[in-house]
Amino acid sequence: MTISAYPVTEVRQNLEDFELGLLLEAIFYQYHFDFRGYSKASIKRRMTKAMEHFGCDTFSLLQNRILQECDLMPKLLTFLTVPVSELFRDPLYFRDLREKVLPHLKTYPSINVWIAGCSTGEELYSLVILFREEGLEERTTFYATDINSDSLKKAKMAIYELDRMKVFSNNYLLAGGKASLSDYYTTAYGAAKLDSSLRKQIVFSEHNLVSDADFAEMHLVTCRNVLIYFEKELQARVIKLFNQSLSRKGFLWLGSKESLLFSPHAHAFSVFLPNTKVYQKETSLEHVT
Amino acid sequence: MIADTTSVIRPLTIQSTKATTFGALGIILFLVISGITAYSNTRTLYSETAEIVRIHQVIETMDEIFTLIKDAETGQRGFLITNNESYLEYYTKARVQVAAKTVALVQLIGNSTAIVNMTNLVDLRFEELEQAIVLRRTQSLQAASTAVGTEQGQILMEKIRAQIGVVRAERVDDYKNRLETMRDAYQTAIVVGIITSVLSLFLVGLVVYFSRLSNVTRRREVRKQQIQVGLSKTMDGEQDQQQLGSNILTFIADKLNAQVGAMFVGNHDLFQRLATYGVPENAQIPEQVRAGEGLIGQAATDKKMHLIGPVPEGYLTMGSAFGSTAPRYLVIFPTFVDGAVNAILELGFLHPVDDFDLQILESIASSIGVAVKSADYRIEQQNLLEKTQLQGEELQAQSEELRVANEELEQQSNLLRVSQTQLEEQQEALIQSNETLHQQTEVLEMQRDDLEDTKAAVQLKAEELERSSQFKSDFLANMSHELRTPLNSLLILSKLLTDNAAGNLTEEQVKFSSTIHSSGNNLLELINDILDLSKIEAGQMQIFSESVSLQGLINDLHKTFDPLAAQKSIELRMDIESQCPKFIATDRQRVEQVLRNLLSNGIKFTEKGSVSLTISIVADKKVAFTIVDTGIGIAKTDQQSIFEAFQQADGKTNRQYGGTGLGLSICKEMTRILGGTLSLLSAPNEGSTFTLVLPEKCVQEEVPDKLAMEQVDTGLFTTEDAIPMAGNTHTEIVNTHKPLYHLVDDREHVAQDKNLILVVEDDEQFAKIIYDLAHELNFYCLVTSTAHEGLLLAKQFLPAAVVLDIGLPDGSGLTVLDQLKNDKHTQHIAVHIVSARDDQQTALNLGATSYLTKPVSHEQLVQALKGMESQFKQKVQRVLVVEDNLIQRESIGHLLDAENIEIIGVANAAECLSLLKDSTFDCMVLDLHLADSTGYELLETLGQNDTYSYPPVIVYTGQELSSADERRLAKYSKSIIIKGAKSPERLLDEVTLFLHQVVTNSPAELPAKLESTAQRNNHLKNRHILIVEDDVRNVFSLVSILEPQGVLLTIARNGYEALEALENADSKGEIELILMDVMMPGMDGITAVGKIREKHVWKTLPIIMLTAKAMPNDRDKCLQAGANDYLPKPIDIEKLLSLLRVWMPKQ
Repeated sequence: MTISAYPVTEVRQNLEDFELGLLLEAIFYQYHFDFRGYSKASIKRRMTKAMEHFGCDTFSLLQNRILQECDLMPKLLTFLTVPVSELFRDPLYFRDLREKVLPHLKTYPSINVWIAGCSTGEELYSLVILFREEGLEERTTFYATDINSDSLKKAKMAIYELDRMKVFSNNYLLAGGKASLSDYYTTAYGAAKLDSSLRKQIVFSEHNLVSDADFAEMHLVTCRNVLIYFEKELQARVIKLFNQSLSRKGFLWLGSKESLLFSPHAHAFSVFLPNTKVYQKETSLEHVT
Repeated sequence: MIADTTSVIRPLTIQSTKATTFGALGIILFLVISGITAYSNTRTLYSETAEIVRIHQVIETMDEIFTLIKDAETGQRGFLITNNESYLEYYTKARVQVAAKTVALVQLIGNSTAIVNMTNLVDLRFEELEQAIVLRRTQSLQAASTAVGTEQGQILMEKIRAQIGVVRAERVDDYKNRLETMRDAYQTAIVVGIITSVLSLFLVGLVVYFSRLSNVTRRREVRKQQIQVGLSKTMDGEQDQQQLGSNILTFIADKLNAQVGAMFVGNHDLFQRLATYGVPENAQIPEQVRAGEGLIGQAATDKKMHLIGPVPEGYLTMGSAFGSTAPRYLVIFPTFVDGAVNAILELGFLHPVDDFDLQILESIASSIGVAVKSADYRIEQQNLLEKTQLQGEELQAQSEELRVANEELEQQSNLLRVSQTQLEEQQEALIQSNETLHQQTEVLEMQRDDLEDTKAAVQLKAEELERSSQFKSDFLANMSHELRTPLNSLLILSKLLTDNAAGNLTEEQVKFSSTIHSSGNNLLELINDILDLSKIEAGQMQIFSESVSLQGLINDLHKTFDPLAAQKSIELRMDIESQCPKFIATDRQRVEQVLRNLLSNGIKFTEKGSVSLTISIVADKKVAFTIVDTGIGIAKTDQQSIFEAFQQADGKTNRQYGGTGLGLSICKEMTRILGGTLSLLSAPNEGSTFTLVLPEKCVQEEVPDKLAMEQVDTGLFTTEDAIPMAGNTHTEIVNTHKPLYHLVDDREHVAQDKNLILVVEDDEQFAKIIYDLAHELNFYCLVTSTAHEGLLLAKQFLPAAVVLDIGLPDGSGLTVLDQLKNDKHTQHIAVHIVSARDDQQTALNLGATSYLTKPVSHEQLVQALKGMESQFKQKVQRVLVVEDNLIQRESIGHLLDAENIEIIGVANAAECLSLLKDSTFDCMVLDLHLADSTGYELLETLGQNDTYSYPPVIVYTGQELSSADERRLAKYSKSIIIKGAKSPERLLDEVTLFLHQVVTNSPAELPAKLESTAQRNNHLKNRHILIVEDDVRNVFSLVSILEPQGVLLTIARNGYEALEALENADSKGEIELILMDVMMPGMDGITAVGKIREKHVWKTLPIIMLTAKAMPNDRDKCLQAGANDYLPKPIDIEKLLSLLRVWMPKQ
């Protein structure tokens, strides 16, 4: 990080950014979580909230706490990662996936699906249900990864608040659901728990998109609304990672506001469903470092 | 035992109320009555007393009156005696007083007769007295005395006295009566008084009793209120349900002296245990109670309080809540809110519970219910608040996303704006340049007009020249063809004779044919030289620039000249200097021609010594070829002329040394058109040095053509147009010619088993030569001499290749070529031009596969035909479809149908195998379900048996495959497709892929590295390694690294299979090392390692983890789980091998 001689009026703003940068470096140094490539604006907003929660007035104070108290890091992670999601979020996208992508996947004897950044599992279970209804669940292995171990735990438990189920059921039907969402969950104590049979084909694992490599050959990779929080270089790195992981003609599914259009690696993919943000791998990029 | 106490309390209270009222009323009445009685008594007493007093007063008054009369008498007497007036005072006073008293008396008792009598008498008395007085006054004493003495007065007095006595007696009677009355009244009063006091006492007692009672009640009420208030305080504040419950229980238990308590909350159906009080740890208290279950449930259902007591010994689990504490009395009461039960409390007492406590409990029931409900509400409120916060966060996140998208859009619009500005600038620039161009155009137009005029003049000239050059070209073409054609046959046939393949010629005859051959070659040389020169003169020599390897040149030159030099015992050296580039761009053929010429001259004119060729770099991107010989040298005077055509230094030279003498002039011209220079340095008997300097990059345009303006060479419209015999280049070839010869060829018996070649050649000899050669090489061959028939045969028989002459009687071979290439049925046929003309570029542009210039040598022909053979294989790609269902097979055939793809369908494994035994295919599509075999067996047969060719296989099946099946197939097949809606698309894609051999994910760098490390890894041979990995690509790459090293490998897909594999050590021996992936389905790597280490026998087995995760604490996790080392993905081969060296040392 370079510091040049800024005029006095701008010093305050830059000091904060500078502190933020130091904080991210400290986190990387101590815990090896690399948030330096994340979108600056979104990291700043989250860190500010975390700062307030931990009772620190500046990023430097937060940095001090982080470095000294190890058990703070998992809690900080929950601020930095986004746990907001829904079952069958953007239901029309799921419908498109069901009608246009799954028939292609049916031609493979066994299918690997990677849900990168699965958070608390809403999207994961949406896909499992979709695959089950299309008769593909048996031959599919779902790899659900996330950087946040708390979110993974929650995803494993598959418990969601009962009053969210109404919205979910609606989404499910819009997404072309063949039965009723209530067939997949039971209620108790004011909460809804998804059927444990849905977990049969799922492998949960911690995985950091910033630093880790690919681990199996995928036919479908979904990474929705994660990339928008990354800076351009990091986005490119992740896209390359996905490209490495995908088999030829494998599918990559991004979030509704994301696109490969401006990515340096766009040439390695073809646009399969432009409105639904589904891409297909055409060529392999060189190995990622 | 169970009593409904509530009903007991109520009647009491009601009764007492009534009693009180009545009692009070009675008492009041009685008091009133007694009051009245007392009052009347008192009044009677009072009035009687008053009467008595009056009586007394009357009597007194009368006595007074009597006294007064006496006084008056006295006074009178006194007066009478003394005649003192002062004594009359007494008389007068008394008289007055008597009058007054009389009045008073009358006032007291009224005017009764007695009184009237008395009064009269009194009056008479006084009269009498008065008389006396008057007498005294008037008369004397005596008269008065006499009057007195009459005793009238005494009689009167007696009468008065009697009268008074009467009245008195009357009054005394009256008085007695009144006293009687009074006594009665008095008695009455006493009696009443006694009764009253008794009653009063009784009343007081009652009051005291009641007040005590009400005290107690009030105290109870106070206690109840206290408890209620205390409870409200306890329940106050924002407590959670848990706290609330235990606070309530504690408070109640404390206040009511209960020993144990439990509280359940819920709705009308189901209640959860919330809190307990005084219950020991191990007591069996139910967590949940349903409505109607047990006593608690019962209380919930019927919404009533239940009192149970005394509880028998050993009452434990019968439906109440308590265990080891054995209370004697239990109270279970529900709490309500809005009529619904929302909590139930149970209290246990060691003492019996009195009704008031029960009352208290009842009274607090509703407030407890409300408190519980409000705790509920609070919780809900909390939840809602949290939810709202979450939603707020979600909104924020979404607005964040929007903002990010916005930013991107802004960026994009910025970029757009920038590019727009650029575009505008460019537009400006364009407008300007447009204007400039306009101006220039005007100028040019003027120039053009001028040119037009000049051109017209030149045109005339040019036409003249053209005519002459046409004749020249005609001549050249004709000569070229006419000379070469017979020469062609001559050379080949003489060569064949020389070869004496049949061995039936004598040595001398062979020598004759050899001589014929060499003569023919000489003739050929001469002809070539002349033609070349003429061509250059006519400006028809074209340069085709290509990348020429200098080393290659030298190699070829060596091949050619080494024997010649050896023959003459001359040393021949060729060097390339180090700074020279490896390649230069120029026309290889021509350069070679020049060099050959120079070298052959050098060798020719050198008797002894050496000839050397040195290639070096000179300034300005030029390459110099320096040929130095130690020959006879050339005199200065001759140096100019040798370059002139048709001149030699000395006519004798030719005769002595052979040669046409044209060589150097050709070289000169060639050099010129190559854009280079040729220089000579020589002196007689001192050898010669020829230096050819060429630019590194020969650019075709720079070549100045002699007749540049006329000869615009675009390829299509060249010499062909000028040759009348060629006819039109693009329209039909009219069959104007009969075939020039008739040769029996194979058109009657062409079959599919061999490739077919069509020869279109007007020279019968040459045609026969090729025909024979084709048969030798196992081709079918068709022969024709006309373009027309050639086209027909090509379209009819669709040969694999066509050998085409250009100079045909009825048209140009180029036309045939053109037409073949424009017809989609024949465009894939390879056309090889063998022609006397030099139309190479044109032919190649039209799509010819190769071009040979006549005369062609036997070797060249053989090579060309053999080349065709190998090309046939490449051209048409063969796909084998193995599918038992006819319709499916046909549809696959239609799907894959394309230009250069031949599709062969078979229905069973037997046919497939027989085909693969005899021929090869580029690709195979295999169904697994066949009549006579399963696909697996077929594949296994193919894979293990070398007698069958083994093309890349695509499995195309309708069955769903288990992962075991998949793995079994993966060994033999590159791709597996499950039939479905999109499978045809995928099949077409994969087949296309294989036929074009696109490389996908295979690691390309491996083989190179492999070689270098092969030596160091000898110790890996025959060692047994277990690979646990589910990513097939990694498995493939590990296998391809390790198997060639001789490692014995076992593959497992997950932790379970790994353990199985360890258990079942097979023929490969015990496993010596494990490569374990981390992320696998089923059992993951870390768990697997743990399980492996549990077994004692595997505690020290080396395990290396392969992990995609890159952070240091991931490494630690692996090591902690029990791995010996770890290797991050992507796998570094060197590192892997070094780790193997470390963990599997040499034994």
